[in-house]
Amino acid sequence: MNRDNPFLSAAALLAGLLFLFPVLYSIWISLQTVDAYYAGKASFTLDNYLRAVTEFNFGRYLLNSLLVSGFVTLLGISLATMAAFAFARFTFPGGNFLFGATVATLMIPSHISLIPNYLTLAKVGLLDTYAGLILPAVSNGFAAFFLRQYIRGIPRSLDEAAYMDGATPLKVLWRIIVPLSRPAIASMALYVFMTEWNSYIWPLVAVGREDLFTLQIGLARLYRINPGEGLIDWLLVMAASTVTILPVLLGFLLVERHLVRGITLGAVK
Amino acid sequence: MMSRSLTPYVLVAPLMIFIAVFTYIPIFMSLDLSFRQWNFLSPEMPFVGLRNYEQLLSSSDLWNSLRVTALFAVLSVPLRLALAVFAASYLVRESAPSRILRGALFLPSVTSTVSIGVVFSWVFATDYGMVNAVLAHLGLPKVQWLQDPHLALWVLIFVNTWKQLGYDVVIYIAGLQAIPQDLYDAAAIDGGKRLQVFRRVTVPLVMPTTYFLPVISVIEAFQVFTIVNVMTKGGPAGATDMLVNLLFEIGFVLFDIGRGSALAVLLFVLLAFLAFLKSMIVGRKVHYES
Repeated sequence: MNRDNPFLSAAALLAGLLFLFPVLYSIWISLQTVDAYYAGKASFTLDNYLRAVTEFNFGRYLLNSLLVSGFVTLLGISLATMAAFAFARFTFPGGNFLFGATVATLMIPSHISLIPNYLTLAKVGLLDTYAGLILPAVSNGFAAFFLRQYIRGIPRSLDEAAYMDGATPLKVLWRIIVPLSRPAIASMALYVFMTEWNSYIWPLVAVGREDLFTLQIGLARLYRINPGEGLIDWLLVMAASTVTILPVLLGFLLVERHLVRGITLGAVK
Repeated sequence: MMSRSLTPYVLVAPLMIFIAVFTYIPIFMSLDLSFRQWNFLSPEMPFVGLRNYEQLLSSSDLWNSLRVTALFAVLSVPLRLALAVFAASYLVRESAPSRILRGALFLPSVTSTVSIGVVFSWVFATDYGMVNAVLAHLGLPKVQWLQDPHLALWVLIFVNTWKQLGYDVVIYIAGLQAIPQDLYDAAAIDGGKRLQVFRRVTVPLVMPTTYFLPVISVIEAFQVFTIVNVMTKGGPAGATDMLVNLLFEIGFVLFDIGRGSALAVLLFVLLAFLAFLKSMIVGRKVHYES
């Protein structure tokens, strides 16, 4: 076996960089001055980033994305963990039905709820608010399913010992299940955060106010308001694109293995 | 003190409320709205029976979108899966090179689709684009990748495949790792060539394990929106006007809530039918015990 052959590793790295070349090169040109880019030379500057933040509100969009994705993750994971604990540890009338309904949401295409959710939020006056961006994204059937499977793997004797000592179910959840499920909760939190960070169609319909734009909406609009292809300010657009990619990219590099494990556990029977 | 028998209901209630309000009730709302005429502003929303469906089914836009979406699915799903099984069979071994390549392949699938759309719009831009710059170096003429109705859909398929490939690879690797080693040993004893083993052992055995991938990819293909909205807006001349893009245009540009809902219902039924069809086919596949 070619285990850890340095030549093969270098070749794999090269192939990987080549595969990612369009994105890597877009980051590169976001750091170039206009003159250097069109003259085909290299001259570094952070000017494009400064313009994205000062002339176009990208600092605000970054903050909005962090807030929305953060709250969706916090709420989504809390709700999923509570439900997963109930599904894993309690037998109750309707329990199987509710669990089935939760898992079935994975098969329901999200476009069917687009117009109704827009109308629901309009009715309660939550369009053009943070809450309107957050609430429809909170329920996550996959996280509930995944955490339930994980919790079932935790020995029941631990719960029972705690109940003997007079603990309430909430205490068992908080003191035993949550600490022991930390790896599963972490990979689901990451998955939910990334999904929400990259979500596009819902923020596009739910928000018209510029100061509530997420990075995805801000970037798409920045690219689209350019009058014609030949006149697009690619350096500015690529700086904005890099701001949009970077947080997830860094997070991914830190925790790649957890994330991949989380995704495959749910997918393979 | 909370009663023990009430506890599970209290625990599942918050999630159930969100699922009901934002996932299940909307299905019925869509169905109801699809029989009404409404532009979101008028105070009345009269019942018009099947008129929205009739209008949709007699419009060339819908049939164009169906054709484009089906074409996208038929071309991109087998391409993705073939590339992924092939790559996975090489990357399944645990070694530094395969870890590096897996990471690189997987990265686009967690990267913002909007960013990817913007970056590839530049890659395929007619002026100053990367691909045309390479063509110019080779002395070839500029190609209008995203403005040519015959090419734009291919560009979207390429970009979508590039983005999703790593995800498929990761799933297939997990599937491959579940294949019992004895089968490979037996094939080796029988003198199976590498390609033969791949075709006779790997492919048939990995299919049922990950039967979920083809289903998910087809369903995804029918829901592609972001990349279309960013790169082509459905153009040129409707050549990339996929179904969800059409839904977005009808519902949120024209604000024809009734017709948009009718389209959402049609798409829902179509996807349910595809899932059903798939389960019929997959159900007959042989499963193995390890």
